[in-house]
Amino acid sequence: MEQLLDFSKGPLFRLTFAIMVLGLARIFVLDLYEAYRAYRRAGDKTLPWKQITLRSLTWLFPVRQVFKNRPVYSVFSILFHIGLLVVPVFLYAHVILWKDDLGFGIPTLPYQWAYGLTVLTIVSALALIIGRAASRSSSFLSRKQDYLWPVVLLIPFVTGFICAHLGVGPRTYQFFMLVHILAAELIFVLIPFTKIAHCVLMPLSQFIANLAWKFPPDTDEKICITLNKKGEPV
Amino acid sequence: MRTKKITTEEREKAFKSLRKSEVNEKQKLHVRYHVEDYETNDRPRRFLEAFAAILKHSNYRLALEHFIRVSAKCSRCAVTCQVYQATGDEKDIPCYRSELLLSVYRRHFTVGGMLKGRLSGKGWLTDEKIEEMAESFWNCTACRRCNRDCPSGIDHGLITHLGRYILAEIGIAPRALVVSTREQLEGATGNTSAIPVPALVDTLQFLEEDMFEEKGVTIKFPMDVEGSEYVFFPAVSDFLMEAETLMGIAAVFTATGDSWTTGTGYFDGINYGLFYSDRMLERIVKKIDAETRRLKGKKVLIGECGHASRSAKYFLPAYCGGKDAYPVINIMEYTWEVLKNGCLKLDPNIVTEVVTYHDPCNIARQGWIIDKPREILKAFCKNYVEMTPAGQDNICCGGGGGTVSIDEIRPYRTTIGGKLKADQIRATGCKYLVAPCANCKKQLRELVEDQGIDCEVVGLHDLIYKAIIFDDALKVKTPDESEKMEKE
Ligand code: HEM
Ligand code: SF4
Repeated sequence: MEQLLDFSKGPLFRLTFAIMVLGLARIFVLDLYEAYRAYRRAGDKTLPWKQITLRSLTWLFPVRQVFKNRPVYSVFSILFHIGLLVVPVFLYAHVILWKDDLGFGIPTLPYQWAYGLTVLTIVSALALIIGRAASRSSSFLSRKQDYLWPVVLLIPFVTGFICAHLGVGPRTYQFFMLVHILAAELIFVLIPFTKIAHCVLMPLSQFIANLAWKFPPDTDEKICITLNKKGEPV
Repeated sequence: MRTKKITTEEREKAFKSLRKSEVNEKQKLHVRYHVEDYETNDRPRRFLEAFAAILKHSNYRLALEHFIRVSAKCSRCAVTCQVYQATGDEKDIPCYRSELLLSVYRRHFTVGGMLKGRLSGKGWLTDEKIEEMAESFWNCTACRRCNRDCPSGIDHGLITHLGRYILAEIGIAPRALVVSTREQLEGATGNTSAIPVPALVDTLQFLEEDMFEEKGVTIKFPMDVEGSEYVFFPAVSDFLMEAETLMGIAAVFTATGDSWTTGTGYFDGINYGLFYSDRMLERIVKKIDAETRRLKGKKVLIGECGHASRSAKYFLPAYCGGKDAYPVINIMEYTWEVLKNGCLKLDPNIVTEVVTYHDPCNIARQGWIIDKPREILKAFCKNYVEMTPAGQDNICCGGGGGTVSIDEIRPYRTTIGGKLKADQIRATGCKYLVAPCANCKKQLRELVEDQGIDCEVVGLHDLIYKAIIFDDALKVKTPDESEKMEKE
């Protein structure tokens, strides 16, 4: 057990973390490359930069959008994201783990805050699942990954909570800690290949949706040649 | 804004197809709109070939790659879409509509999808799926309102646009649009309404006489005047159906004295290419460029028409020279400018009834023209009221994306597409519903008729024509006298 824990904390952690970082970097760069090609081919290169920036910021910090559309779901979604981003990064127990490797520390969450945020994240994840299943339109659209993601993301939160706050015995502690770490590592690996890729792609969305309308010139002729339609009547 | 779902009877009426079952069988297509006969064999393969060719020569891959990765299936677009709001049919949720095409892209044009497809042997594009797309993409009015509520920035209007384009390449497109476009590009008259030049000249002369009688001022429609500041392209159907709008525009130019002209070589702003085929979009836009060049004009002026304005404004630079393309303005921008300058005077005591303004999606969604028409209206209409939501978040008339030109689907447009709009109009209690767009006007007139709403659908310049005040200097006695003055 101890060896397994050490392995998952050390080499496996580094490997899966690298997969996540490289995977995300890959799709981000590919997205930018495709955008660069589209921009070069476009006949009209003017873009509404101000509008793109404003709309991107609006959705990255969607405070103004919250009550317009699906308000309850949106509130839980925002709380869920705050928990997802803040707890793993600023938790005291996590920060001390990297401090030795990195050589510097970052501010940490006070104990009560960590406790509260974890509970909030768990509650909002459950609310998202219920919200998805209960809404006719949402459940119609949902794929397997849309239900599985909140569940998978819950595992590290629940196990972390058990280890940190429930005062379980050493054997049980070790078991839950192992599940905690392995689940987190599974998440790292899956992130670049699923919809969670949105965590790096989202800032580009408005830009890309605008750029996609900038068509290249003379496509009519080129497509006619490719499809053997030259001279064909309308 | 929410609306009540349609009743079963309404559903039956809206989805009733006028197509004969023999035609459905022959064309292997169970859709409500008419389609010209086309090659029905091997549709999936030809669909994929067309898709591949379009991907190769255009910029769509960028959007598709991004959208398949970020789609979160949050279903906010369901709340936004006026079609889903009315039908309550999950297949009308924008995200589902887009998924129809995105899944084809994922399965046939991404490495992961192809591998998965090979392994499972499933997911091939089928005839059924093509039929579903042919139906679904023409249920959407391409209003692009759903994009405003998508956290992932997915532009379902763009996907619909692309889906229709690919379908058109294999021969599936509404006959109404194809026939008009054929006349415009290859026909004898060169415009979508098939108006011959002599008939156009006659019509305009007739209008000039009318205006002289009504206003006591010589108001001209200058034809083929080289070197004019503005070359004018209205939706060509205005010459047949919207005389008042054209008269209002001519009156404004008479008041300001700026030079404008209509070209007899080409005078149609309509561009159905925007609705079903980028290739046609490009060809039509190039005709506008050529005519402006022939007349040595300085700017392209589009009449009261949303899609005509958008296709010229955004695609003239794309296809005809980028930065060096002719500047494009919409007539309302011009009128706003001259009103602000004090060159245009309007009598505030003429239009006293309740007036409201409908934003055409194609000029409002991107935030291009929203406040200017409102400022014009408020300058002389005492009783101006707003609809909510309006502006960038406006609700489509229900005939967007070319669907208004498909007469056989009128019941669909007035019971489903325009349902939310009808609620909105009713709530204002307006007498005049100002809709500065040939497509919106046609749809809204049918909508208020079918839904029994008592109001008159007009253009912005129709009201201006009623209220315009001319300088005394312009008021000459007879046309002869004015000709004399012109000579001097
Ligand atoms: C930079 C940060 C991020 C931004 C701006 C962002 C934004 C969004 C948005 C806009 C949605 C869809 C709208 C909604 O359902 O409310 C969403 C959904 C989701 N995000 Fe994120 N996200 C970020 C990071 C992350 C991360 C790091 C994770 C997980 C590791 C994550 C997990 C999820 C999940 C599971 C959903 C779906 C929720 C559901 O079940 O409806 N997000 N995110
Ligand atoms: S573009 Fe308009 S009609 Fe089409 S799916 Fe979106 S909201 Fe509905």
